[in-house]
Amino acid sequence: MSVETHAHHEHPDVVGSRNRLGVILLLVADIAFALSMMFVYFYLRGQNVNDMWLPKATADHPAITPLSSSPGWTVTAIAAFGLLAHFYALKGVRAGNQTQLKLGSLVAFVASVVAIAYQFNTIATAPFTFTDGAYVSCFYMFTILNFVHLALTVFISLGNWNRARLGLYINDHWHVDIVRIWWVWMAVSSLLGAFALSYP
Amino acid sequence: MTTVMNETVAAPGKSIIEKLNVFTALALGVLSAIVVWRLSLAFLPEDSEVRLFTREDKITLLSMCAWFVGFMTGIGALVGPFRWLMGKDLSHDENMFLAGKDMGPKRYLRYTTDHKVVGIQYLFITILIFFLGGGLAMLIRTNLGTPEGGWLHAQAYNSIVGTHGILMIVGTIIMVTGPFGNFIMPIMIGARDMAFPRLNALSFWLIVAAAVPLLWGQFLGGITTGWSAYNPLASQAPLGMDGYIMYICIFAISTMVAGANITTTVVKMRAKGMTWNRTPIFIYGTVASVALALPAFPVFFLSQVLSAFDRALDTSFYNTAGGGSGWLYENLFWLMGHPEVYVILIPSIAALMEMAPVFTRRPLFSFNVAVMGIAGISGLSVLVWAHHMYISGWAPLLNAPFMLTTELISIPTGMLFLVLVGTLWRGRLWMTVPLMSIFALLWNFMIGGVTGIYLSDVPADAFLHGSMYVTAHFHYTLMGAGLTGALAALVYWFPKMTGRMFDKTLSWVAFWLVQIGFNIAFVGMFMVGLAGQPRRVESYAPTFNTANMVTTGGAYMIMAGMLVLLYGVISSARSGVKAPMNPWQAKTLEWTVAYPIPLENFDVLPTVSSDPYGYGKAQS
Repeated sequence: MSVETHAHHEHPDVVGSRNRLGVILLLVADIAFALSMMFVYFYLRGQNVNDMWLPKATADHPAITPLSSSPGWTVTAIAAFGLLAHFYALKGVRAGNQTQLKLGSLVAFVASVVAIAYQFNTIATAPFTFTDGAYVSCFYMFTILNFVHLALTVFISLGNWNRARLGLYINDHWHVDIVRIWWVWMAVSSLLGAFALSYP
Repeated sequence: MTTVMNETVAAPGKSIIEKLNVFTALALGVLSAIVVWRLSLAFLPEDSEVRLFTREDKITLLSMCAWFVGFMTGIGALVGPFRWLMGKDLSHDENMFLAGKDMGPKRYLRYTTDHKVVGIQYLFITILIFFLGGGLAMLIRTNLGTPEGGWLHAQAYNSIVGTHGILMIVGTIIMVTGPFGNFIMPIMIGARDMAFPRLNALSFWLIVAAAVPLLWGQFLGGITTGWSAYNPLASQAPLGMDGYIMYICIFAISTMVAGANITTTVVKMRAKGMTWNRTPIFIYGTVASVALALPAFPVFFLSQVLSAFDRALDTSFYNTAGGGSGWLYENLFWLMGHPEVYVILIPSIAALMEMAPVFTRRPLFSFNVAVMGIAGISGLSVLVWAHHMYISGWAPLLNAPFMLTTELISIPTGMLFLVLVGTLWRGRLWMTVPLMSIFALLWNFMIGGVTGIYLSDVPADAFLHGSMYVTAHFHYTLMGAGLTGALAALVYWFPKMTGRMFDKTLSWVAFWLVQIGFNIAFVGMFMVGLAGQPRRVESYAPTFNTANMVTTGGAYMIMAGMLVLLYGVISSARSGVKAPMNPWQAKTLEWTVAYPIPLENFDVLPTVSSDPYGYGKAQS
């Protein structure tokens, strides 16, 4: 809480604990959002309304075949790598090793950029149009919303690296702790999307 | 105030924070929307085949997104995150400026972080929403004054019904947790502010940002689907639907942010000695409400994102021709929609439970039962959504289980009744508007609850669904119970928020006009509903005329009461009798601080050593 922090010099651990709970509660909302996406995917897949989950070939349109799920797993792997890099940074800051913090944060940031670029490429090169049935709609739902997630991750990991670079985590490191929570969720949410798309 | 707080705060110079306010927000929002609109018109390709609105939807949604980003940038919501990114955290002076220190009335037009300012801002916007929504209700009732309706075009009537619905839903969601959850709650738990003051300001200004797309949509064909915006009907509705989508998406973000903030504040910032058994019941109600909204509103958010995809990108989430399903929308919508009823109700009832001991001078009857009732309602409310879909044909085998879970909610609801009645029983009643509101709630909510049992019953619902009976039922719960609690809270906490007593005569006149008018209006509506008059239709068979006339008369009476109340708010705030520090002789912490309440509420944080309802005890 900014006023208290400045006026009353609350202990950083108190502020950090409060912020951690706040982030976890916001993630509860995000988790509900992600689970709703899973519900949408498996509901439409299970219903296969009018046999249009994966439309068959017609006179003027070829059949829709699902994409390999490997791009989804690749994004997940990159996110997991970013998470590991962030763990490395966190271990460094806990040990008072600023160099390790900076290196780990930088690698995590680069991983987030690579992941978002890869995700964008997956969307841009998908051999579908939006009108190609329910599976394709869900494919775009997962990839576009994961792109938004990754954009947030780029912002957060850039800020984290920049603050590490400026030496702002010398006295306390609860920011880095909280960014770890986000990275864990980023990896898990990518995994959920990849998992779903593995069952077309 | 502490030593630090008494220091002279230097002017923050020419920092960007100082320059931003609601006017820069409006200017930047409008400018962004116009620029993106022009660019979209110029560069978005035409649709490759004839479609219903798709390109226009893209343009409209992009323009509305631009408005949103521009407005939030202009109000200063992005300053904090970008300063964090740059590693230049806000200084003490900047935080003081954001808190509105020594700024006077201008702080109400800025991204002010002081919870008391945010509480007043919420109160203002709630009144505004009710004013607009109530005005639309009067248009509806006036049109229904005669069987043939007629002076409103059918399309306009539909749009008015939909807009009234969603405005009132949002208004009732924020009517307690917004003004009182923000202004009163932190003081009540002995905290200096909310856990995240900037998020607090964000949650308020998001609602302001959300309002514009909704109004904008009125000029693009309106919301012709009713507030529930069922798909695929909504996919085929005019461009005004995009305003609804944006409104819901932005409001959902606001709700999530507020939920995380309020919950963290209560869990982490209660005063020393305020154990869970000594935490006022209003706090439980507020936390239950926002905690329930946390997982519920993202589902609603997703339903609208997918609706936007269907409209603007021509995807097939709800379009059966492309493999989508209208039932999918109904599930997503009601997964939020039913918990939302309790998001509205619980804080209102909790506020009345807070007032009951004060005006009966007795301890709250069975605090533990009250907490269990709130927890029980919250838990069950996420398991009942499909009772709204009995006759939609979705999963008939699930009707019986959903009937059971819905009817089970009567049990924790009954617990709350028990607590209120038990507290009133043999109490020394202090006849004030808050106390009479408890009686009003018991009466109205009993009718709303009993009629709800019929709707939860599958065979009865098959007959009653889609009729005016349903409309009367949910008005009895949301307005008869929810709004009654909120108005009582306004009168009760008015002295703490404004330093003046609410005019007693005006509060009584408003109370009786609203309560009598309300019961006249909605008993009439029950009658025509039972007789088969459908809801959301602008004309009806002449046989329903008398009861509709009665309902319309009752509605005008409610309007008169609300206008008296509004006048009471304005005149009492301006020139009401100055309030003592604790006019009700209540025992919760907010009554231990004098008006005007200092920026950080307490000179020294309080320590709690007794429960807040120790009335009638020698040492309490």
